[in-house]
Amino acid sequence: MLTTLIRRELLDNLMTFRFAAAVFIMLLLVVANTVVLIKDYEKRLVDYNTALKTHRQQLREDITYSSGELKVDRPPNPLSIFNVGFDKRLGNEVTVSHRYVPTLWDAGKHGSTNSFMGMFAAIDVVFIFEAILSLLALIFAYDALAGEYERGTLRLVLTHAVRRGYILLAKYMSAMLCLLVPLLMSLLLAVILLTTATSISLNTDDFLRIGGIVLTSVVYLSVFYLIGMLISVATRRTGTALMLSMFAWGFLVLVYPNVILAVVPRSEAPKARAASAYNQIEQMWEEFDRERKQFLKNDAFPGENTDFNLMGSGGYSSGSFHRSSSILRYFYIKPVFMKRLKEDAESRVPHAQNYYGFLGPRVTDTAEKTWLIRKPALEEILVQPTNVEGVWLKLSPVGLYDAATQAWAGTDLKGIRDFFEAAREYRQQMVDHFYNTKVFESQQWFTGDKGTPDWDSLPQFAFQRVDVDTNAKRALTDVCLLLMINIALFIIIFLIFVKSEV
Amino acid sequence: MWHIAKRELYDNLNSLRFALTAVLLLALMLTNAMMHLREHPGRMQAYHSGVAGHQNRLTSNANESLYKLAEQGPGYLNKKPSPLRFCAEGGETFLPRGVSGSYHRWGGRDGLESFWILGYPPVTPNLRNISPDVTKIDWGFIIGYVLSLVALLFTFDAISGERESGTLRLMLANSVPRHTALMGKFLGALISITIPFALAMLVNLLVISTAKDVHLNTEAWGRLGIICLIALLYTCLFLALGLLVSARVQRSAVSLVVLLLIWIVFVVFTPNTLASIVGGFSSPMSSDEFEERSSQLEDELEGELLFKYYLHPKDTREDMIKRIQLGGEYVTEDAAQQERLHETLLKQQISQMRRVRAAIRLSPVTIVQSLFESFAGTGFERHLQFLENVQSYAREFRTFIVDTDRADPESLHIFGIQVGMSQKSVAPEAVPKFEDTLSFNKDFNTAAVDLLLLTLFVIVLLSGAYLAFVRVEV
Repeated sequence: MLTTLIRRELLDNLMTFRFAAAVFIMLLLVVANTVVLIKDYEKRLVDYNTALKTHRQQLREDITYSSGELKVDRPPNPLSIFNVGFDKRLGNEVTVSHRYVPTLWDAGKHGSTNSFMGMFAAIDVVFIFEAILSLLALIFAYDALAGEYERGTLRLVLTHAVRRGYILLAKYMSAMLCLLVPLLMSLLLAVILLTTATSISLNTDDFLRIGGIVLTSVVYLSVFYLIGMLISVATRRTGTALMLSMFAWGFLVLVYPNVILAVVPRSEAPKARAASAYNQIEQMWEEFDRERKQFLKNDAFPGENTDFNLMGSGGYSSGSFHRSSSILRYFYIKPVFMKRLKEDAESRVPHAQNYYGFLGPRVTDTAEKTWLIRKPALEEILVQPTNVEGVWLKLSPVGLYDAATQAWAGTDLKGIRDFFEAAREYRQQMVDHFYNTKVFESQQWFTGDKGTPDWDSLPQFAFQRVDVDTNAKRALTDVCLLLMINIALFIIIFLIFVKSEV
Repeated sequence: MWHIAKRELYDNLNSLRFALTAVLLLALMLTNAMMHLREHPGRMQAYHSGVAGHQNRLTSNANESLYKLAEQGPGYLNKKPSPLRFCAEGGETFLPRGVSGSYHRWGGRDGLESFWILGYPPVTPNLRNISPDVTKIDWGFIIGYVLSLVALLFTFDAISGERESGTLRLMLANSVPRHTALMGKFLGALISITIPFALAMLVNLLVISTAKDVHLNTEAWGRLGIICLIALLYTCLFLALGLLVSARVQRSAVSLVVLLLIWIVFVVFTPNTLASIVGGFSSPMSSDEFEERSSQLEDELEGELLFKYYLHPKDTREDMIKRIQLGGEYVTEDAAQQERLHETLLKQQISQMRRVRAAIRLSPVTIVQSLFESFAGTGFERHLQFLENVQSYAREFRTFIVDTDRADPESLHIFGIQVGMSQKSVAPEAVPKFEDTLSFNKDFNTAAVDLLLLTLFVIVLLSGAYLAFVRVEV
């Protein structure tokens, strides 16, 4: 019985104009945008490779360890074609040094810059689904039941011994099958375009992630179909159902995500928290500075001159604190770079080595000590308000869908922060390496007289995106919530439909 | 005709879509007003403190000496925020709030100090921003996206619906010319959309104008009036489109599907997709490249002039003066070439933006938004106007320095170096001060093309609707 019903509904849906239009528009938009997005990705990849090369080159040119700036770069994520998330806009290069522990907020950006272009929103494949698939689902659903009520065919069907639940199920399944056609076709085309692009190499994990995105899209689609069905069964008139559906779409897709964050007030509490954390950090560095001065006073070299009267022709030696209170960053930087030592410097070199051998570990320790304060404070003042905003957005299925696909693609905030986690680990490796090879107290720390620093002996930085299991775990809650909305909607529709008089 | 319009109006006033539209527009307009009242005072305060900083800097430098004034420059020059920003956000978050007029690449170098230049620091509001991406709710959004959608929802069944229910035949059986029927429908829909829109807009303006932090002058009200007219014109465009498709298509459901797909393609996708396509054609130099060229220029000049300055003998008075000249030449040439480099980068960025903005004119929503921007005094064109103001001010400032120096008989009239220039203090009132202005004339010039384009669209679509309706078989 069920199969007969499904077949009937399927034929009904497939032969319509709206189906043809849906397929056509979806294919057109997805293909056009995928081509544009792949081009954009390739450009970012080129930028990334250039940045890698430039940074390596710059490091070679630095002739002392203390003036060297080791930068690591974040490669663009190929799955950003599906949901760009934070991949394009957050920083993609960060300096790794013993002076501070790098975070997302310390990062800069490589690549060609035109800040004006930020005005134009990025369109990705998920956005197309978000906007158009939901609309199509509503267009398929609005007359599913209301149309039959009006035409009176529902009465006809119910004269047979058919359960009402079956009718609902048949309608739902056939419409979903129809809607899957444009979804899967366009996704397949997108994947084909991706695999044919030479610059993009997808591994098995990536295909699993794309599978996750497809799955989430289907669940999202079903939510909107059920919303349309609910309106249809509740209003019983196609005209009203259509109007309500369109307004529901406009509200959920267009209005709610943009309005809600403006309406929800932001709490002012983090400001006090930020100030207190910043003060604590400042005190630690002041303590460090006192110790530093004490050391200079007590060491064998007279005076507090950190040059130790070594500088020959060319070079610089300047120590300073860098502060930015909004991101709780505070560090001491003393790049020393002496091209040539003075002729008679030999006897004073040990003093300098002694001092820098003291300074390096102290800077490192203070940086790590302040990190213990900075980390939870940043979490509280910057990340948590964003999480609250995220929860507000997730009250609409659009927000849930967006968050889930971002998590699958690895372009969500967590995915980006993984990179900085890797950068922090790399910093630890670098510091260990400095300790092991006694870099701080070496002459290469401050002068290029005795050979250049050997950066190549450092371990190489490599960033691997998290495996698909982690992506799945991150996406799971949102997908489950979408599923729950599905079930709840279906139950409500069922209850209304069963109780309704034909 | 008025009969038909009146009938349409009554029909619409009782309908669900009218109520929903009214609620939706009211909510959006209230949000817009609230946001403006929350953000605008902060912006104005930042602007005023910026202007005060600029004037204090000029005063304190002028009191010290002319050289100090010439070396330090005017400082950060602020762009005046528009009181009508609630009408069009215009991507202002991605536009700098001003231009820097004080640039120190290097400090003292054997008696030489680097001179100020005009620098155009970029804004990267999103680099550290981890909040979700949202579109700002301005009138441009409300009218460009929501109102256009509503206009389609009001007209998609105007003709096809009547044909389905058979009332069209009834109407045309009377001696009503078809164009009258069409115009009646058009006017009826227009009026029934205008009512909730005008209501929401009035509430919005009422909230904004009664707040004590925001002052709208006569000119601003005039601009608001023009913006409203443009909004109506834009609504007409979508009403005409709705009538056209409704007349061509047999069933109203099909008509709606066609209209929505057209709407999505032209309003949602065209602007952004075209922007990324056209933006990809050219790429301005990257920041690394910029740094490289900057230091390359610096090195070249160092080899050319600075070493000559260092090595020049200081024995006789003529030698001293020659040395001062070399030093001054180095400093002024350095400032000039760095400023040229900054300008090159800016020009590349602007030409990229220009190309993109020309391409996305294909979409009516971009046209209406850029019209709003030009009348609200926000957005990219306004930023260019501000840059022009700044550049002409910089010329004025430099001429002032030269003239004042010339008036001092004790000065050697060698620019760029302390000993070569006037050491006397300057009357702070005489120093030109930067004040940003918004000129209406220029706004209208940039808007005229857009306005014509929009009118053209409306006329084409309306005549299309007429032709389609005349040939329709009832």
